[in-house]
Amino acid sequence: MTIRSFRQAFAAGLALAALVGAPALAEEAFLDVGKQEPITILINSSPWYLGFESVVDLYTEQTGNEVKIDATPYGGVLEKARNAVRTSQSPYDILNLDSGWTIEFYQSDVLRPLGEIVDGYEMPKEVFTCGGSYFWNAEKHFRTAEGGKLMAVPPNCNTHVLVYRKDLMEKPPATWDEVLSSCQKVQDKPKLYGFATRGERGNGIHYDFMPFLLSYGGSIVKDPEAGDYTVTINSPEALQALEQFIKIEHGCAPDNVAAMGQGDVIQLMSAGSAAMVETVIAAWPNYVDPTRSAVVDTVAAAPMPEGPSGRGVAIGNWHFAIPRNIPDERAKAAMAFIQWFLTEQAQTAYAEGGGIPVRADVLEKLSSQPKFAWMAAYKTNLEAGKQPLGFAEGAAVEQVIGLRLNQALVGEMSPAAALNTAAKEIEGIFKQSGRNTGMLDPLSE
Amino acid sequence: MNLPSETRTGLPAAGPGSAARTRSRAGRRRRRAGDRWFRWALLLPALVVLLVLTVWPVANLVRMAVSTIEFGREGAEFTFTPLRNLSRLAGDELFLTNLWTTALFVVVSVAIEMALGFLLALMVAGVPRAKGLVRTMMILPVLVPPVAIGSMWKLMYNYDFGILNQALGLIGLGPIGWLSEPSLALWSVVLVDVWHWTPFVFLILFAGVEGLPREVIEAARVDGATTAQIVRKIIVPLMAPAIAVAFIFRSILAFKVFDQIYLLTSGGPGTSTEVVSLRLYHVFFGQNELGYGALLSLVIIAAIVAFLVTTRGLVGRFAR
Repeated sequence: MTIRSFRQAFAAGLALAALVGAPALAEEAFLDVGKQEPITILINSSPWYLGFESVVDLYTEQTGNEVKIDATPYGGVLEKARNAVRTSQSPYDILNLDSGWTIEFYQSDVLRPLGEIVDGYEMPKEVFTCGGSYFWNAEKHFRTAEGGKLMAVPPNCNTHVLVYRKDLMEKPPATWDEVLSSCQKVQDKPKLYGFATRGERGNGIHYDFMPFLLSYGGSIVKDPEAGDYTVTINSPEALQALEQFIKIEHGCAPDNVAAMGQGDVIQLMSAGSAAMVETVIAAWPNYVDPTRSAVVDTVAAAPMPEGPSGRGVAIGNWHFAIPRNIPDERAKAAMAFIQWFLTEQAQTAYAEGGGIPVRADVLEKLSSQPKFAWMAAYKTNLEAGKQPLGFAEGAAVEQVIGLRLNQALVGEMSPAAALNTAAKEIEGIFKQSGRNTGMLDPLSE
Repeated sequence: MNLPSETRTGLPAAGPGSAARTRSRAGRRRRRAGDRWFRWALLLPALVVLLVLTVWPVANLVRMAVSTIEFGREGAEFTFTPLRNLSRLAGDELFLTNLWTTALFVVVSVAIEMALGFLLALMVAGVPRAKGLVRTMMILPVLVPPVAIGSMWKLMYNYDFGILNQALGLIGLGPIGWLSEPSLALWSVVLVDVWHWTPFVFLILFAGVEGLPREVIEAARVDGATTAQIVRKIIVPLMAPAIAVAFIFRSILAFKVFDQIYLLTSGGPGTSTEVVSLRLYHVFFGQNELGYGALLSLVIIAAIVAFLVTTRGLVGRFAR
């Protein structure tokens, strides 16, 4: 063997070894972020929090970098975040913001675009963009990847799923009409309710009504991205959706559905008192934890039922954002954590710990395992996901809809009157903001 | 240096006694002026506190109420837009509903608390032994933190496993949606308020009962007055100042109720338990409408002041 042929054989051997060993190495190697400043994360103590905590522990263990977490109940996160960006120096390096809150922060320019911290940073292409809410187009005043700067990344891309009991139903219902008929078939009130979703005033009923509204072809505003803020919540499609929503809630849910929040719905399913519930995927760990659930072996997840216009899914995702008012070193440390967190390895560990991964490749890889079977439904729903409140007045609009829907559910108003009232109030909000607005002709009450 | 008296008065000197009187008058004037300054100096800390803690915040609230406020990188930006907030208030039917709900809550809860507190005060005053222990037991609900009260009652009201519905189930009734029935939710919240605050009224009135002159009551009894007559003609008039204090305190606190309603119903179902404080919370923190929230706050302050002015006369007459 000549020296040349030996070199060729050696190089070929190395290449082969690299090819064979690469997947194994990729499984093991996490991103090396080096030594970083300690960081503090403000996060909500929602059902998926434990998964996040486990992945933070892993980060700390692997890198030796210190991460403090301020886990706060949902109701307190917004004010803590607002206060943080309004002081001279934020106590938090990463703020976890709910979808509806982000515009207020984007618009007031108190967050750092991520590409300014790490030059030209872009989210890995496998990470879901969740309807574009991580990008802010300042000219359009709209959240969109088109011409928008990357302002945040997803810790989860929350969508609804239909959670059902496979021991009670052969297959999950595919349409809302089937939900009604299946629930009537299996329920045995008050021991077993056929179906439940949140009816409590505010964000709860607003968000849980969205799959109905969207699947019936309804919308809140005509085309906000193009600047057309004509209010469309009082369309005939929206009325049909609301009537169906009320029919199902009254026919299948407990009598106190108008006061039921997320905890109540989750508890209903976990205790084995419901055949079907509509909850966010982030609630899934509650159903499969043997210490908290009586339906661990019988619970399953399905794509959201369809209406006349197909599947309607509202994304209610969270956003990891970095405030402007922190020193560069802390911003870089926060980015280091974010980059590590979005890697395939960290996302896999996140899923193992009970989190909801945000990478398509991780969902693909894990969904074949029985314990991650829910991921297929989550992925299907994500594909139909929309951001219905992608404008600056989102929080105020949500309050209006959340109240009027609740009034329709408890019978204080007829569905048509509730939608007409909501439309009028939303139009008022847009008028005050100087938008190009209007509303559809009122529905007949 | 003492000047001759004519140079100061323009009159001929009347003698050494007159000069001394004049000097002493001047001294008194100087002392009075000094006293005046001293009095103002003593008041100064209180004035500063009043300005910083009351006048300035209210002035700032007025400034906010006539502005649209937005936050940017440079902090809060105020735009003078008084008509914007006022026109919104004029069309805000929900706020009228909130005011009505608040008034209903205040009237019913305070009336029940006053009646119960008074009865309990009379009953405990008549307890022959361990009065201190009974009094301490009675005031326990006031000591419980509002968050604990909200959580505890929310569990008791729970539709599926709450103790109230379980008890009803034992006699074949229910379950009842204590917090989800629009016609019932406000009264469920009133019940919690009564449970929480009756001991406060009791405490004030109990002190009043304990301070009553026994000889007057005994004399009335000797004269053949019935218990009802004694209560109506002697105890109530003598306790009028204590009753007035308890009534005013409770009314103001009931008007400001927030925590227990927030924890129990968040204002729902519909608008059935949305009192003004809760609406303020939604406007300030949910909608981030600081200007409009400030205007609503001013209206609420005005309503409370109007209530106090109206009741002051009535209560004063009652107390006399």
